Amino acid sequence: MIIPLAKSNASPEAQIAVQTQLSGAWRVVVLNDPVNLMSYVVLVFRKVFGFDENKARKHMLEVHEQGRSIVWIGVREKAEAYVFTLHQWHLSAVLERDETY
Amino acid sequence: MKRIEVKLSVSVVAPLLDVLKSIAYESPEQESKQAPRDIDSDFREVWNEELLAHQKTDMDVLFGLFNENFFIDGSIILDPNNGEPVLRSCAALRLRLRETILRDIKDEDLEGGQIHLENLPDSIVRAFMGYLFLATIQELIIKHIEQGSTESEGS
Repeated sequence: MIIPLAKSNASPEAQIAVQTQLSGAWRVVVLNDPVNLMSYVVLVFRKVFGFDENKARKHMLEVHEQGRSIVWIGVREKAEAYVFTLHQWHLSAVLERDETY
Repeated sequence: MKRIEVKLSVSVVAPLLDVLKSIAYESPEQESKQAPRDIDSDFREVWNEELLAHQKTDMDVLFGLFNENFFIDGSIILDPNNGEPVLRSCAALRLRLRETILRDIKDEDLEGGQIHLENLPDSIVRAFMGYLFLATIQELIIKHIEQGSTESEGS
């Protein structure tokens, strides 16, 4: 499933403003929750991002020990799709602008 | 993941199913709150509706396991078609239990399973048993998925 990014009934000026606001790089951040099993989080990272076991485990431990892990950085639309997929798997995940770009 | 048949105790699991079904089709509260903040209300609505629809499909798969056969001999079948939806349903149900019936239990107690059941009302005991049961199902599926991927990497 793909959720449309654009707001279609806005004026051209508003659309440009929205595009500017959403441009640049965005982070997909997974947050710790006290419920999901560690092995489940590793499996989801492998499925959703195609991480190998070591990378998936590293991010899972980061979430567990530091409360959050940046699992992906890139364009807004794809970041949104990843957050949505993580929510379908019931992981706690948010979208953040990457200020380093 | 290979097809696996699991034998469960009907007298233990059937009462847990009632608790789980009572919260299964509620909105995914935590996930809905985490929709991107800067999206408009229409998009947020679509986001939440799609999540709920997806969750409903997964729940139907989970509760489909507990069919006539289960009530005859306690058996459920896990296979490559239902493994992932069942995993997600278990995660969703554990989160809902945490947000609702088990909300007054501390995280560390829940995580460590160190709860004195004798001091708790029956509704909470049953929810906690359901919470553990769902984790056991998840662990079983994950173990079989991992085994399957190790075997395919080795071949």
